[in-house]
Amino acid sequence: MGNVFTRLYVGNGAFDIVGKRTRWYIISGIILLVCIGSMVFKQFNLGIDFEGGTKISLPSVSQSGQVISTKAVEDSYAKALPGKKPNAVQAVGSGGSATIQIKSPALNVAEVATLKTALAQDTSPQGGQTAISDSAVSASWGGEISGKALWALFWFFIAVTLFLAFYFEWRMAVGALVAVFHDVIITAGVYSLIGFEVTPATVIGLLTILGFSLYDTVVVFDKVKENTRGLLGLTRRTYGEAANLALNQTLMRSINTSLIALLPVIGLLVVGVGILGVGTLQDLALVQLVGMFVGALSSIFIATPVLVDLKMRDPKYIAQAKRVAARRAKASGPQVAEGIESVDEDALAADLRKEEALAAAASVPHRTAKAGDVRRRPTGKRQR
Amino acid sequence: MAPPAGQIRPAKYLASFVLIVVALYALVFFTGNGSAKPKLGIDLQGGTIVTLTARQEDGKQPSEDSLNRARDLIEVRVNGLGVSGAEVVRDGNNLTITVPGADSEGAKGLGQTARLAFRKVIGQPVPAGTPVQPQTSSSTAPSSGASTPPSTPQSQSAGTPSSSNAPQGRPAPNLAAQPSSTPPSSSTAPSSSSAPTSTPSAPSNVDPKVAKEIQEAKALRQATDPQILQQAALLLDCSKADPLRGNDDLDKPLVTCDEKGEFKYTLAPAVQPKEDTQTKADDYTNYTRLTGEDIDNAAANNNPNGTGYVVNLSFKSDGGSKWAKFTSANVQQAVAVVLDGEVMSAPTIQSAITGGSTEISGKFTLKEATNLANTLKYGALPLSFDSSEAQTISPTLGLQSLKAGLIAGGIGLALVFVYCMFYYRLLGLLTILSLGLSAVIIYAVLVLLGRWIGFTLDLAGIAGFIVAIGITADSFIVFFERLKDEVREGRTFRSAVPRAWVRSRRTILSADAVSFIAAAVLYVIAVGQVKGFAFTLGMSTVLDLVVVFLVTHPLVAMASKSKFLSNPNLSGLGGAAREGAAHRAAVTGKTAAVKEA
Repeated sequence: MGNVFTRLYVGNGAFDIVGKRTRWYIISGIILLVCIGSMVFKQFNLGIDFEGGTKISLPSVSQSGQVISTKAVEDSYAKALPGKKPNAVQAVGSGGSATIQIKSPALNVAEVATLKTALAQDTSPQGGQTAISDSAVSASWGGEISGKALWALFWFFIAVTLFLAFYFEWRMAVGALVAVFHDVIITAGVYSLIGFEVTPATVIGLLTILGFSLYDTVVVFDKVKENTRGLLGLTRRTYGEAANLALNQTLMRSINTSLIALLPVIGLLVVGVGILGVGTLQDLALVQLVGMFVGALSSIFIATPVLVDLKMRDPKYIAQAKRVAARRAKASGPQVAEGIESVDEDALAADLRKEEALAAAASVPHRTAKAGDVRRRPTGKRQR
Repeated sequence: MAPPAGQIRPAKYLASFVLIVVALYALVFFTGNGSAKPKLGIDLQGGTIVTLTARQEDGKQPSEDSLNRARDLIEVRVNGLGVSGAEVVRDGNNLTITVPGADSEGAKGLGQTARLAFRKVIGQPVPAGTPVQPQTSSSTAPSSGASTPPSTPQSQSAGTPSSSNAPQGRPAPNLAAQPSSTPPSSSTAPSSSSAPTSTPSAPSNVDPKVAKEIQEAKALRQATDPQILQQAALLLDCSKADPLRGNDDLDKPLVTCDEKGEFKYTLAPAVQPKEDTQTKADDYTNYTRLTGEDIDNAAANNNPNGTGYVVNLSFKSDGGSKWAKFTSANVQQAVAVVLDGEVMSAPTIQSAITGGSTEISGKFTLKEATNLANTLKYGALPLSFDSSEAQTISPTLGLQSLKAGLIAGGIGLALVFVYCMFYYRLLGLLTILSLGLSAVIIYAVLVLLGRWIGFTLDLAGIAGFIVAIGITADSFIVFFERLKDEVREGRTFRSAVPRAWVRSRRTILSADAVSFIAAAVLYVIAVGQVKGFAFTLGMSTVLDLVVVFLVTHPLVAMASKSKFLSNPNLSGLGGAAREGAAHRAAVTGKTAAVKEA
């Protein structure tokens, strides 16, 4: 069946993803455990928005064109505000956007003004005092943002569950939610594990991952829904197989979408890290990069398998799966349809008629089978 | 047999899209100020942004009314800064003050309630009714001080130059008793002061003028020279807006009006000026050394000794001892409670008050007493605010961020272009065109929203757009992949388009709905930057639908009808078409096989 790329491109159910779902559950279970463990024991590297504090940034080139050293900035700080100490002074960014960042415990308005004047005098950065930026955040602000974010998360889940349950069905809503939880926990876990700084921008990014992850899942589920129409009347394939086919048919799309969504994010990251060094762009890009990647994987490896597991608890589908197995056991004819399936109305109607015929044929095999063939013929033509 | 659904007349859709674009840009260029620039956030253009969060002591939700009043009051203060384009936006319990420009740091102090000060009253208050000859026609050239001296009632007696050796900031005790006739020395010519005319409520384009007015008013009404102060008291017109409102320096004397505009007061500095090196730090003869920060609590109560209401005021321990020293040094003198440069109340000290708490009596109604108590407690604001976030971004950094955001968007788009061209060829070209048109609409909508609802594009918003590139492109991908499915099943490009559209339309709608729900929930609940991000994300999701329905699909439909463009090798559907051919053969074969069985 050609190489992997051809299989992807053609999308004819060549990858058995649903069948091997236990494997994916175990893998993601382990990852989830590691992430939760890290969040519990290692916790997060919270930015000043959560701890409270003052951040000052100034161009790292002086008016005379020389590079300002972090040492000079530290000295100036010590002189301007005796008795206080910056938490960190670091040089970030590159080229014309290179800056020196001072992170300091909370300073009041007067202290910030004193410090800025002192820095302007001591280091004379390009652009003078007006080129020095500062940002002071109260310790409660980050908490307020995150608090709101958690509320947003809660309402988002409710809104989306209702939407999905209404548009698809509750099992799909559950499958999608499991996948989203999985994404959020893993993304947060990666932040905790690696120790990236958590800022309000990170929280924003995390929230949009939810949207993206669900978006991806919805597209797959849409195809699953289409592929499983009238499934109970057929013995051609089980729900799991139909779902797997849907996954494969949308696999290329999932990969394409994720890639295309990730490309701009990579652009953001390159610029955020490479040019500015810090800030909103970098924080957003980083969290989205991680989240979108995990989101793409989970919509394939988690959402649909969970859906199938939920479906297979329904007696109707279990019975149908048995019928499929029974048919395959004794059938000598064509088994699971090879290649691509047409799922339009005509083909479906034809299949249903054929199945009815087969069921009727159970008692008088020879004659009815013939009748089925007779009936089959015109639809075969129409299918073309 | 083509299905009836999904067949469209592409030209009609394209025409309506063009109509939308034309209408949007007509609005952009021919309404409002006609400038085609979106409103940029502070983090992109430089300036100061302060987020204040209302805090109630009992943790209750502050009332809408008090929040709105606080917003209005802070707006008055912001306008007093004299910077154009400043604004105050209320968002739940938060007030966000944005002041663009390099010289905007003054905004940081605006949310503070400690604009209150206690100043000793010098002399007797003068009724405000005293007619002062109004200035005429000097507003055109306020700077040319020498040319138009004010026509003060008295003519030049010129002599008495200001005694520059007098202890600065320390008015002579019997100042008010002197005849108020001496004109100021020419060097500090108040000629240009010409009364604080223009109201500071129209911040656009008046910034240098307002700033100048403030300076001039300070030079006159906060002069350290008692004689200038006298002159100022004469000239002051209480019926006009006060440029010094909230801008007075606490370490200088002040000539000002009371709240109702009935009396003019000359007040001593509240705190000891740096220049005054003679007065000892524990000398409370002139300086109260008290500001609103020293107040612990204030409440309106029934007057225990009669009718009406009184205000009970208690100081923090430090403030209490200052108050005790001041009151014992100034029995029978008046002390003014000054708020934002305006006298709220000027009670006379009956006796030394040592207990740390004071009763201000007067003929207060309950409302007046409550107002005064609240003023004492919170400053002018009906609520107490914490500064949650205060940022000053230098214009250079803002510009760099804007550039970086645009570069990031450019890189992102370029990468998407390359990928689409590689993978979808002709369809990729359509993708690029659609994304481009998307950008065209988004830009116009941004400009219009900035104008209509004051939407500002900040860095997080730009990031929202960049992320939305993915979602927009995905709608095309869903459609194209469906198209490929159909072709793979053996249909021609032409007959595949309507079928693929009908099916992908549903998917696109549901997927966009989820994305939009995410953005909407974020927007409603979140605060600050998050809101901007959510807004742009939601907006581009909606505009994405517009573009897919009105542009991408019609264009694909048109391409499918053109012989040249539907060439499988051009359209990137070659592989799928070959597969389709094989499928047709297989189906035929299978049918044959079934027949044999």
